[in-house]
Amino acid sequence: MTVELDTDIAVVGAGPAGLAAALAAAGAGARVTVLDEYPEPGGQFYKQLSSEFSVPERARLDDDYTKGDELLAAVRDAGVTLSPETLVWGSFEPGTLSVMQGHAAGTVRARSIIVASGAYERVVAFPGWDLPGVMTPGGVQTLVKNQQVAPRGRIVLGGSGPFLLAVAKSLIAAGAKPAVIYEATRPLEWLRHAPRLWGHWDRISEALHYRRLIAAAGVPVRFGRIVVRAEGDARLERVVLMECDGEGRPIPGTEQIERVDTLCIGYGFVPSVQLARLLGCTHRYELRRGGWVPEHNEEMESSVPSVFVTGEVAGIGGAHVALAEGRLAGLGAARRLGLQVADAAMADARQERLTRRRFGDLVNDVFALKPGVYDQIGDDTLVCRCEEVTARQIREAATEWGADVNFVKGVTRCGMGYCQGRVCGGMVEELTARTVGCSREAVGAFRVRPPLKPVQVGSLADLARE
Amino acid sequence: MNSNKPVVPGAVITVFVDGQPVQARRGQTLAAALLALGHSVLRRTRHSGKPRGLFCAMGICYDCVVTVNGETGVRACMKRVEDGMQVISPAQFKRYEPRK
Ligand code: FES
Repeated sequence: MTVELDTDIAVVGAGPAGLAAALAAAGAGARVTVLDEYPEPGGQFYKQLSSEFSVPERARLDDDYTKGDELLAAVRDAGVTLSPETLVWGSFEPGTLSVMQGHAAGTVRARSIIVASGAYERVVAFPGWDLPGVMTPGGVQTLVKNQQVAPRGRIVLGGSGPFLLAVAKSLIAAGAKPAVIYEATRPLEWLRHAPRLWGHWDRISEALHYRRLIAAAGVPVRFGRIVVRAEGDARLERVVLMECDGEGRPIPGTEQIERVDTLCIGYGFVPSVQLARLLGCTHRYELRRGGWVPEHNEEMESSVPSVFVTGEVAGIGGAHVALAEGRLAGLGAARRLGLQVADAAMADARQERLTRRRFGDLVNDVFALKPGVYDQIGDDTLVCRCEEVTARQIREAATEWGADVNFVKGVTRCGMGYCQGRVCGGMVEELTARTVGCSREAVGAFRVRPPLKPVQVGSLADLARE
Repeated sequence: MNSNKPVVPGAVITVFVDGQPVQARRGQTLAAALLALGHSVLRRTRHSGKPRGLFCAMGICYDCVVTVNGETGVRACMKRVEDGMQVISPAQFKRYEPRK
């Protein structure tokens, strides 16, 4: 079985950015198809419940569902085609995307491509991070919110960033109150950013609302502490925490042991740039926005003509950025096709994007990754989970082969497993750069090649035959 | 799940985990169903045989791969349960060989 599809604009990713882009482009008269790997649209922010679940009272669901509902309804009304469970795994000529729907392979042809592939979580390894029971905050959020299953036992949140509070809120609502939240930064360290809050009142009240809710539930938030080790026999039983200084370096003598069944830990997000890189877009390293990000012009068009990038993939900034930037990319892509888009609409979208990006950058700065958290990666710590490569192997390879992360990959096999380096990539780059003593730009990033995610070989054979 | 909750999962179905019949709810991912049943170890690693469970739960890390109806390398967190589904958790095996 094969899939063939022709469209004006193919949007990859059905999260806020992709949906906002689709809506804007369709509004300008373009035929738009949104391709997304998940069964339900919405991305990670607006992830929808399975259609098999019933919701007796929609009004009792929280905002993310109702906002997602509204956006999706508008997208459907605008005549956008939503193509769920469609994995984009390659691109072999400009304007084409190779896709997989279940076991059916196929090709999507488009005059413009909007990459809205979002982000995934940044994890920094520590001994024991591969034990069952250690999870990412986003994973826990998906389980409790979308699957209605709470993780087991005593739950502790760690790492850094406002998303931890969102996960805590979902856990509380599900009756699985976390025992404690450990945030790596300290409020004192935030103060220098305070003046930049001026004007962003809606976001401030949102943050205060979360904070109040968590305090009312009696969940303590402890600042300036990081998880340095997880221990257990076959699964997580306890973690060791330490206080850290402003740089994230653990302070000797501050060890504390905490009994934990589920540890939910993450240090913000990394843009999911694999497709943008495969399409040939030029990327630059921007630590503040999560790492490698595709370059783009004022209308979100990347260095490759007719390929647009938008939302988290263009730099971490949150759902509001994604919505604003999605609209801008949608209008930009429509205009690129020769459709009429009023200058005023373009200007308004550009302005909205800038405002939202300013706040997104502020949040990124407040919760900036402290470089010292990499210090907990001892030589025996596992870095690549798939191929079971330790930090020692990476450091040795970097010492011997120098500042090229792809050499390190070739020598150690790190990043060659199923996840294709999505989980370990940033760490391998960082460890290589530190070992050699050079910049992240100098060590580069893992090369990407198709398939972007593992696909059934049989399905590709079908495609070749037809 | 009681009716007091704003969301009610789908109908009860049966899936077979390592040959044992267990209950799941339509619309659930296999990962959620297994977690609800208390399975925290989903597989053992290829080289050192260490236990692994759900990690990202969103299709990124591939730590949750199991065998479903004979197909290996299926992400439990992305796969929806179906009535009569046969799941083999590679935790059964000392060494797990992924499909090449
Ligand atoms: S838990 Fe990461 S892919 Fe399923």
